[in-house]
Amino acid sequence: MLYLQLAANGVVYGLVIGLAALAITLVFGIARFPNAAAGDTMTLGAYVALGTQQGSGSLLLGGLAAVAAAAGVSLLAWALVFRRLAKRSVVALLVASIGAAFVLRAVMGVAWGHQQQVFQVPLAFPILLGELRINPMDLWLGGVALAALAVTFGVLHLTPIGRAMRAVADDPDLARISGIRPDRVMAAMWLLAGGLSAVAGIMLAIKTVVSPELGWEMLLPAFTAAILGGIGSPIGAVVAGLVLGVAQEVSTPFVGFTYKIALSFVVMLGVLLLRPRGLFGRLEAVR
Amino acid sequence: MNITRRASLAATMAVPLVTPALAQTAETFRIGAMNPITGAGSPYGSGMQRLIIAAAEMVNAAGGAHGRRLEIFAEDDQTSPQAGVLAARKLLDVNRVRAIIGSWASGVSLAVVPITNDANVLFMNTSGAPALSVPPANARGLSYRFQATNDRFGRGFAEIAVREGFRRPVTMAINNASGIGNTEGFRRAWAAKGNANGVHVVYEPSQPSYRSELQRALSSRPDVVVMGSFLPDTTIILREWVQMGVPVKFIVPGWAGNPQLVQALGPVVTEGIIAVESVSNEGTPGFTAFDEAHRRMMGGRSGLENVYAAMTWDMVVTIALAIEQSRSFETAALNAAIRQVANPEGDKISTFAEGKAAIAAGRKINYEGASSVLDFDEFGDVTPDFGAFFISRGEITRRYIVKI
Amino acid sequence: MEAYLLAIGIICAIYVLLALGLTVQYGLTGLINFGHVGFFAIGAYTSALLSLQGVPLVFCFAAAAALAGLAAWPLGLVALRLRDDYFAIVTLGFSETVRLTIASEAWLTNGVQGIPGIPRIMAGGGIGPQLVVFALLLAACIAAALAYRRIAGSPFGRLIEAIRDNEEAVTALGKDPARFKLQVLALGAALAGIAGAFYAHYITYLVPDQFIPLVTFQVWMAIIMGGVGRVSGAVTGAVLLMLFLEGSRFIRDLAPGLISEVDMASLRIGVVGLALILFTLFRPQGLMGDYTRR
Repeated sequence: MLYLQLAANGVVYGLVIGLAALAITLVFGIARFPNAAAGDTMTLGAYVALGTQQGSGSLLLGGLAAVAAAAGVSLLAWALVFRRLAKRSVVALLVASIGAAFVLRAVMGVAWGHQQQVFQVPLAFPILLGELRINPMDLWLGGVALAALAVTFGVLHLTPIGRAMRAVADDPDLARISGIRPDRVMAAMWLLAGGLSAVAGIMLAIKTVVSPELGWEMLLPAFTAAILGGIGSPIGAVVAGLVLGVAQEVSTPFVGFTYKIALSFVVMLGVLLLRPRGLFGRLEAVR
Repeated sequence: MNITRRASLAATMAVPLVTPALAQTAETFRIGAMNPITGAGSPYGSGMQRLIIAAAEMVNAAGGAHGRRLEIFAEDDQTSPQAGVLAARKLLDVNRVRAIIGSWASGVSLAVVPITNDANVLFMNTSGAPALSVPPANARGLSYRFQATNDRFGRGFAEIAVREGFRRPVTMAINNASGIGNTEGFRRAWAAKGNANGVHVVYEPSQPSYRSELQRALSSRPDVVVMGSFLPDTTIILREWVQMGVPVKFIVPGWAGNPQLVQALGPVVTEGIIAVESVSNEGTPGFTAFDEAHRRMMGGRSGLENVYAAMTWDMVVTIALAIEQSRSFETAALNAAIRQVANPEGDKISTFAEGKAAIAAGRKINYEGASSVLDFDEFGDVTPDFGAFFISRGEITRRYIVKI
Repeated sequence: MEAYLLAIGIICAIYVLLALGLTVQYGLTGLINFGHVGFFAIGAYTSALLSLQGVPLVFCFAAAAALAGLAAWPLGLVALRLRDDYFAIVTLGFSETVRLTIASEAWLTNGVQGIPGIPRIMAGGGIGPQLVVFALLLAACIAAALAYRRIAGSPFGRLIEAIRDNEEAVTALGKDPARFKLQVLALGAALAGIAGAFYAHYITYLVPDQFIPLVTFQVWMAIIMGGVGRVSGAVTGAVLLMLFLEGSRFIRDLAPGLISEVDMASLRIGVVGLALILFTLFRPQGLMGDYTRR
């Protein structure tokens, strides 16, 4: 029973990671670099949602504003920085994305300060399944994660731009030859990734507190989940997030609450060495 | 490139710093304010620094200390030992201060105190680490701690737990020196009373959820959870706890169980939480003066929100009184005078003006400060009493005081 | 004044050593090490703990370098099999694991309470001891720089540069790129270890919180701005970094009302970010030139 409850805790944590990983895997798969600014984009989403909710009283409005803001900022980052580095090495893009993350964090620090802030959401008491406690908020969170996954899937498989994105992810040169315009694909992708990051950020902030380091601290587990799930696979990202979350919590009786954090790294290392394409990914040049 | 940089650095040295402008011909007593304006201590650092400046202004308005005005040089230690070392060097070598006050983080204090010892200047801090009391850190007896040690805090928790009739406490600590120090202090004191300790859960900062940690803490069905925590994690843990529906009480440190916590979680979640803080002398003219200055410098906010600012205010007043008492500006004389002006016996005074007048009239004084009664033991540590503050219906009120 | 400038010089020289270590690794083999602070931490703690047991400082420093270099070995084995960016992420995990281990194994490291009272290289007040420390650091930097030059110019070094360009060709010639990459990684790590030892005996207090990834990124910023792959780049970058970190102190002095104190922290991180972006976009070779062939 203990392990079942731990696993249940892990599911919740895993969903948050999975959402963040979703945004990362998109960029990683289509633009082909690990985007370190994803974390701070999450934080941005949280702050914008909080501010809007405080001003208007509506969390829904806050969420919409956050998605718009994060999508816009991501688009801007691409237009100003990443697009110009498209021909350069992965490292250059990675370093530039770290720079973008820091700039974003600086702006948010000046705009909103460093004090913790909290989403005022109504408290709810747990649903009891035998001895298992399930929190309604977490059910809602699960629903949002699934919805985000569904939207992403829908875009990728049901829309022309989504098909174009998948083509670019598979083989950029071939995609270009077939007449797909890279700029439009990239713009659409960054908008989508930004929006997803915002949702992840809001979810995380509702569970915890809004602070400047919110997203940055999620980065490593989120990257791990993206890699574990297979770069470029949205389902993989969410499933991997769940796996990691559950594994981390279930491992605590063995490794303790401090080392459980290191579990992500160990898992990631194992995946990269043993099965580099992850759970659902395409065969990908990892070496 | 070297030369121009050095020249420009030298040029900037000439710029007067954050002090009341006065005739530079008069000699002043220079004090360095080294506080965490940025970094983990930033919620407290600005207040600490501004109240140092305000206290110096107050002393100067009352005629200065033994004829000299106090001059404050302000630096940010960024809550980092490395930045603190550089800040201390600047204050000592460039600004030639005779004391460095207001260091908040234990790491900064421990890194800086060897430097102040070498320079033979006073060092006053609000850090919790036990290592600051004894050699090598306090080898020369020049270091004064205006905040209860982590261990003492833990003992205060234990007294309150006994008083409240708890039998089966468990501890939860954030994995840093303060959290571990407080809870270990509690556990030692609790065991020393012949009681059995429960589970001890250590959690990492900045995690998205503490549900598993809480689960472990509550697994043995304790009656109280004693926390060595800070505001963000306390917020998250309490919110998750209330949604678990398990009844238990909480004892938290005063810097976590403060108005911000109530604002974040609301009256329902925070009902019945006990916050522990060292007792300040509310109601005395000294505290009133501090509180007024805090409201003036910090946008109307009450001095009760930043207990560390009360401590730094007291640091300035203590130094000024020591100067008056010893009629000297030399470190050795000042050092000897500090306990004379702050410890019993003597007339209890709470403001600089009162103390100055009493000293002039030849009486021994006992400065009871805004932050605590400021009685320094042989290690230079204060031995404050602790107040048990209860949060009820969104209000935080002190119900009683315990001595340890 | 001199003591203050010396203090800045000492911290700067520590950063130069760190930058040289990173330069050796990235500049020669193109390995992206985002876990550099992990080696820094290993060196610092090794030297501190041994010195507190009474071991003479010379051996403490040697042990610091050796252990840091050894720690690079398993990381190196992993590195050989991964693409750049994956390796970077793995190294980040490595340095965080180091930090978590230091924080957890309190029986050895005193955990989050930290280690106070670490013996200094030379005790006593006044400017003399500081000068000694600075001189030793300078000597270490020069030794590192000379070693780097010799390696880069030697057959070993030319081999390493060849590896950067075309690993298959090198293997076809019968040389083993893997072993050389490992050695370079270990060397860079050893330099970071020595920097850590100097740091421990200067600041005299160690706590895991000082060894966070931000330090690694600051060193990266230094070499990107200064110019990767060159000794002069590492030095220039470290000096620039120091100017930036200490300079913000004087901005407050010169214009006290201009920027609120709390915003200064945001400003610092924003400038780091901007510097990384601008240099990556417009001057990837850094101030001192030299192109990265990757």
